[in-house]
Formats: sequence, C-alpha cells, structure tokens
Amino acid sequence: MIIAFFFLAGMTLVSALGVVVSRNVVHSALFMSGSFLGIAGYFVMLNAPALAAFQVLIYVGAVTVLMLFGIMFTQNPQARRYRTIINRQFWAGLFVAAGVGAFLAYVLYSEDWGGVEAGNGPRQVADLGRDLLGVSQGAEVFTLLFEVVSVLLLVAIVGAIVISRRKSGAGADREAEQ
Amino acid sequence: MPPQIQQVLDAMTATPPLEGYLVVGAFMFAIGAWGALIRRNAVVIFMCVELMINAVNLTLVAFADYLPNAGGLGASYAVLVIAIAAGEIAVGLAIVLAVFRSRRTVNVDEVTSMRG
Repeated sequence: MIIAFFFLAGMTLVSALGVVVSRNVVHSALFMSGSFLGIAGYFVMLNAPALAAFQVLIYVGAVTVLMLFGIMFTQNPQARRYRTIINRQFWAGLFVAAGVGAFLAYVLYSEDWGGVEAGNGPRQVADLGRDLLGVSQGAEVFTLLFEVVSVLLLVAIVGAIVISRRKSGAGADREAEQ
Repeated sequence: MPPQIQQVLDAMTATPPLEGYLVVGAFMFAIGAWGALIRRNAVVIFMCVELMINAVNLTLVAFADYLPNAGGLGASYAVLVIAIAAGEIAVGLAIVLAVFRSRRTVNVDEVTSMRG
C-alpha cells in the first residue's frame, strides 16, 4: 500500500507540475489527465471504487476531451517560449503558492485528528448511493443537495449553449463576411 | 526469512497514514494555484482550477475513509463537487470560446475591456 501511495503521489504531483510548466498546451491537457488518473488510484485506495469510476469517466474522459476541444478551437498547438506563456508574476506566484502549500501541509500534518483508521468509507456502491440520495442515517441534507446539483447542471447546460451560440453579425461571422 | 527483510516487507505493506493523503492534496492544491496565478492562457488556467478541485476532492475522500464519525459522507460530497466542476468547465469553456470569437485571443491579460 505504501508503494502504491508513493507511486501515485509521484504520478499526481509530477503530472500537476507538468500542467503548469509545459510549453505545449496539448501536453498540459495530457498531463492533466495523468494527474486525474493518479487521483482515481487514490480513490481506489480510499475504499471509494465507484468514485474512482466517476473520476475516470468524467475527468480523464470527458473533461480532458472538452479541454482538447477548447484548445482545438482557440489556438494552434505549438510549443511557445516561456516568456509568451507565463506572465510577470512567476516568482511572486511561486512564492505565494509555496507559502500556501507549506502552510496547508503544516496545518494538516500537525493537527491531531484523533483516532483515525482506514476503512470507514462507503466501500459498497449501494452505500454511496444511499448517502447520495439522503436515505441513510445522518445524510438527510443530501436529498436537497442532489436536487440543487441537478438544477445547477441543467442551468449550466443551457448557459453554455446560450453563451457559445454564434450570433449573426458578431465576431468571427462579421470578419468572415468582410 | 531474516527479520530485517520481514520489517521492510511489513513497512511496504502498511497502510499509509491520513496525513500522507492530506499533504499530497495540499501540494497538489498549491501547484494548481501557482499555475492559475502565472499562466496567461485561459484554457490552462481552467486546467489548474481543475487540479485544485481534484486536490480538495482527494482531501474529502481521505477524511471520509479515515475519520470514524464522518460516516463516509465525504465521498458523497465529492460526487457533488465533481458535478459542479463539470458544469463550471462547460460554462467556462463556452465563455472562453465567446471571448476568442470576438477578440481573437484567449490570453487573460489581453482581455482588458472591463478594466476600470
């Protein structure tokens, strides 16, 4: 388990760094999917196999493809120099992010979490489903949250269509006509 | 089998502590925040936001598995977070496409029409 933990930690963190420092945008997207795969492995280790399946389906599958479509529509993928892809806050951003990471790691590591042991998660998919629908004890609020999220997804779908719809006489259409 | 080898094998098959997951999540969050701060490309900034969301998901699921009184509800929160992140990505990429269509760029420091 420790070996798997360190392997997944290396995979996740190195891929996350690759997203930030890669000069090619497509490589950033592929590094991002590698990082998501590492997180899916962690979900398997943490007794949440259904969540790992969601992670692979939604993030490694759908979000990566969506990102690649976004790249395809908005830029030609080619390696660029660092001066053109990174703004002037490189060192200030590194300072802030390292401070945030060190502070979070220190607090989370030094906090006394009491009697913790692995194996409390909803290993069965049926348990996760009961929690998510608010049927099980102590999870009643999820009835409301589930409905709110479903409405939110509908709003997001409609909003995405409305925002990205091509209006006549705007932007690229106008340039194409000229 | 010598006891040293047995010790090494025991150490390798031990369950990782809760703090390990939390520290990995914290560093992943920091890397995502760094990328969101320094990159110019709006699509890459979205990727870094996704990294931060995934780091928080990892922390939630780790707590759900390790804390005895959590009842495993962190995994359910993680499902909701995944749904909200998917909606955010759809709307965000739609906005990026709309901005690109009218301004021919997705670099966030060149889109300054709302600067006061």
